[in-house]
Amino acid sequence: MDDRPLDVLIVEDEVLLATELEFLVEEVGCHTVGHAMSSDEAVSMAHDLHPDLALVDVHLRDGPTGVEVVRRIHDDCGGVALFMTANLKRLPDDFAGACGVIGKPYSQHGVRTALSYLTTCLREGRAPGPPPIGLELAPAYSALWDVDGAARAV
Amino acid sequence: MQSERAAHALAFEHGAGDPFAAAIRAARMAMIVTDARQADNPIVFANEAFLTLTGYHRDEVIGRNCRFLQGPDTDPAAVASLHRAVAAGEDVSVDLLNYRKDGSTFWNALYLSPVRGADGEIRYFFGSQMNVSEKKEMERVAGDVRERLEEAVDDRTRDLTRALEQKTALLHEVDHRVKNNLQLISSLLLLQNRRVTDPGVRGALQGMLERVSAIATVHRRLFQSDDVERFDVSAFVRDLVSDMMGAARRSDIKVRLDMERIDVAASKAAPLALVISELFSNALRHAFPREGLDGREAEIAVSIARDNGEFRIEIADNGVGMTNAAASSAAGKESGKVSGGGGFGLTIVQLLCQQLKARSETFDAAPGTRVVVRLPVNGAHHA
Repeated sequence: MDDRPLDVLIVEDEVLLATELEFLVEEVGCHTVGHAMSSDEAVSMAHDLHPDLALVDVHLRDGPTGVEVVRRIHDDCGGVALFMTANLKRLPDDFAGACGVIGKPYSQHGVRTALSYLTTCLREGRAPGPPPIGLELAPAYSALWDVDGAARAV
Repeated sequence: MQSERAAHALAFEHGAGDPFAAAIRAARMAMIVTDARQADNPIVFANEAFLTLTGYHRDEVIGRNCRFLQGPDTDPAAVASLHRAVAAGEDVSVDLLNYRKDGSTFWNALYLSPVRGADGEIRYFFGSQMNVSEKKEMERVAGDVRERLEEAVDDRTRDLTRALEQKTALLHEVDHRVKNNLQLISSLLLLQNRRVTDPGVRGALQGMLERVSAIATVHRRLFQSDDVERFDVSAFVRDLVSDMMGAARRSDIKVRLDMERIDVAASKAAPLALVISELFSNALRHAFPREGLDGREAEIAVSIARDNGEFRIEIADNGVGMTNAAASSAAGKESGKVSGGGGFGLTIVQLLCQQLKARSETFDAAPGTRVVVRLPVNGAHHA
């Protein structure tokens, strides 16, 4: 991946959260390509817009469908998704193919550092170190990005 | 056959003058002797107690293998263990369901042991029978009672498990809503702060945002742990410091953490978190002017320890000290009035310390300021 800004899709049914999140995404140098509020919207936007990263809440306008959205983004669109949810305990062990989760309530700083960290991971295919506080990585992506190796090197 | 039986009847009479034989004949415990050297190991002696127990006449038992006592409900496994012992020439003790002549049953605690001759060959088997029907019945009743109890306990456990599952689901739902709403409040404050240009208003909004974030961090931490009733203060402080330092963008300030793990009751988590947040924020905002500290490296140290039945939380900076930048804050604290940002923060600290039954003391650390909060350990354990 080159150094162009990361294309981010926001999947969140709370419009105020989404609006603020969009500011944060832009602040860390990413580019918001869209905002979906339901699972149908999310899947079709992921399909059409090919975002580098989808930020997905578990609870959407049509119910707790975020997990399925993440699975379809991963399986059908080959995209990388990140959960942003207060429902950490509802996530499946394999994170439905998501690269990780940011627990709500998150802080501005937590989201900023997580997005910067993931930008590096996605661009270089390798983690720059252990994940920052507030970001939990899925086991599959920890292995993919060699987080243990990176943590030792730091 | 007839003559053989007569011969055994005679054998029974044999030794009439022998006191040991007399004792066995008259014993209250049923006893038999079988002849191992005859085909099918027949009974050659049975005492009166045996005849009374089984309901048979002596003629009907002598010369027969004692399997005639068994019936349809006798446990084949118990019989098999008896056969194995006889074949191996070993002692055996086994409970058998036996049948009387009239068809009624009794539980027979059978003890059978081989009697060897001088050459070591097995000559006889000696058997004693005890009627343990009452004991068996009591065991059965006790077993029934236990079974019914276990069923009742299982039922109740199922009910309680279901109730607990419902409660847990409800708790998750409420927790989820609390977290989402805290996120919503943060987002509102952040969105407004993006529009405001007045530095005073921005500062006030920033202060409120920090407080909401502190409470949000508490909630994130509270439900992450396995114990929802205890709150890990040190883990909270690590999260809080990371957030605040990240937001402040003051890479010139170093933070040193020296924390023992201490837990407080969940009900104290939010007020304590706010106190720590205010004190840390105060040090971060007021102790260190941007232009530096005449070459001194700026540092904030947070230490948490158990000390004499109290939790001791210390937040120390090596900044400009109370007499300079923090003076307005200290004045605000002394008069108890809600003045500017710093004054309001210290008022919060003062009020929450009252609520927590904690003491807060501020020292001139020369250089800098040191604030020590002492929280009673026992106060955290409400029975």
